[in-house]
Amino acid sequence: MAKMDISRKTAVLLAALGLVLLGLVIVFFTGGEREDIRHASDKSPVRAKAADVEPAPTRTVTLFFLSDGDDLLHGEKREIPVGPSASEEAERALAELINGSARLLVSPLPPEAQVRQVFVTKDGIAHVDFGKEITEKASWGSSSELAAVYAVVDTLAFNFKEIKRVSILVEGVERETLGGHVDLARAFLPNYSLVAK
Amino acid sequence: MNVFVRHKIRRRSGAGPGRRLLFLLFPGLVLAALPLLAASLSGQASGDKRIRTVVIDCGHGGMETGAKGKFGTVEKDVTLAIGLKLKALIERNMAFRVVLTRDKDVDVSVENRAAIANNQKADVFISIHANGSRQKTANGSETFFLSLDASDEETRRLAYLENNASQLESHMESTGQDDIKMILWDMAQTAYIKQSSLLAEMIQNELNTLLGTRNRGIKQAPFKLLSGVACPAVLIEAAFISNPAEERKLASEDFQNGVADAVYRGLSRYLRVYS
Repeated sequence: MAKMDISRKTAVLLAALGLVLLGLVIVFFTGGEREDIRHASDKSPVRAKAADVEPAPTRTVTLFFLSDGDDLLHGEKREIPVGPSASEEAERALAELINGSARLLVSPLPPEAQVRQVFVTKDGIAHVDFGKEITEKASWGSSSELAAVYAVVDTLAFNFKEIKRVSILVEGVERETLGGHVDLARAFLPNYSLVAK
Repeated sequence: MNVFVRHKIRRRSGAGPGRRLLFLLFPGLVLAALPLLAASLSGQASGDKRIRTVVIDCGHGGMETGAKGKFGTVEKDVTLAIGLKLKALIERNMAFRVVLTRDKDVDVSVENRAAIANNQKADVFISIHANGSRQKTANGSETFFLSLDASDEETRRLAYLENNASQLESHMESTGQDDIKMILWDMAQTAYIKQSSLLAEMIQNELNTLLGTRNRGIKQAPFKLLSGVACPAVLIEAAFISNPAEERKLASEDFQNGVADAVYRGLSRYLRVYS
């Protein structure tokens, strides 16, 4: 009877040990998996937090807008993401010029205008290719056409040392004018006499 | 023989007092003739400059409407109306031929407008426009002449041509190659920048006096239209069609007459200096 008790106790102990072992094994594997899953799921929030803390580098550019008070161009500072090339930064600067002013100044470009591409050549000429909207969606007068052309030219030449002159294309091809006035045949030098002091 | 001698003698004896009179009068006649001679010479010299043909360019036209106003006024209609009034005014009061680049609502390319002026051997080219701005409050009248937005090398070349207008013309006549001809025509206005600025100034002064609009002055701009014109050339922006108050003015007969009158007076003043 006593023998039976001992062997029963041993069996219970063994079973308990076995259960503990099984539990440990389960904990080992499942716990490990959980840790992995936790790690994987934690990864993106950790990265997102890092992105919040360390935003993509930006640079300050000066955009030239019109004022209702005079006929001059007025500089307004704006932050744009940096790189990877001057061409892409120039595209962003012009997109901001089209988006408009934060100070109630007037954009010299119509809101429908779109920049398809800016390409800067090694000899310092930026070729700005506008979509057809710039000619189709706007009616140009001498003043508005001059302001649009020189706001683009001055914005690019002022902010990018690689850009010395600016040529304007529409839908990838040369045009005589945007709306019947300013000659687009030659690349423009900046004209800062139009900028308010 | 005797008759002949007698005749000669008679003539000689008859010529005596006349000759003396001629000797006495000769210095006076020379003095009196000098101003006439000078006038005739200067007349010959300025004969080349004398203005014979005025080309009036009514801006835009056809599909190309130009600037548009809030109340539906379009630039192409205003420029045509003013151009026709100006033509009538010049023809009524001056002995000059007037040619319009368009006399109805049709498309004329910018290049063709300059070509019309050059083919008609224009002595003065006046382009009529109404302005447009993205600033709703922009207002006033201004007169443009060409500016040269060129590289240093080009500027030097053009400055040379500016002082040698006659050489420019002989270059253009002598060359048979179309490309070179086009390039020279492309720069044609550079030879007339000084006269163009004077013409712009005189017209702008009259616009200020007659229209009661804000004086925006004379300005230079790289306008395609002006660069190819081989004579003094200006572009007038009478007022802003994008400004509702000025749009109403531009659409009115009175204001259009006022613009035509001001341009006519400015042109007359210019001609008094240059013809």
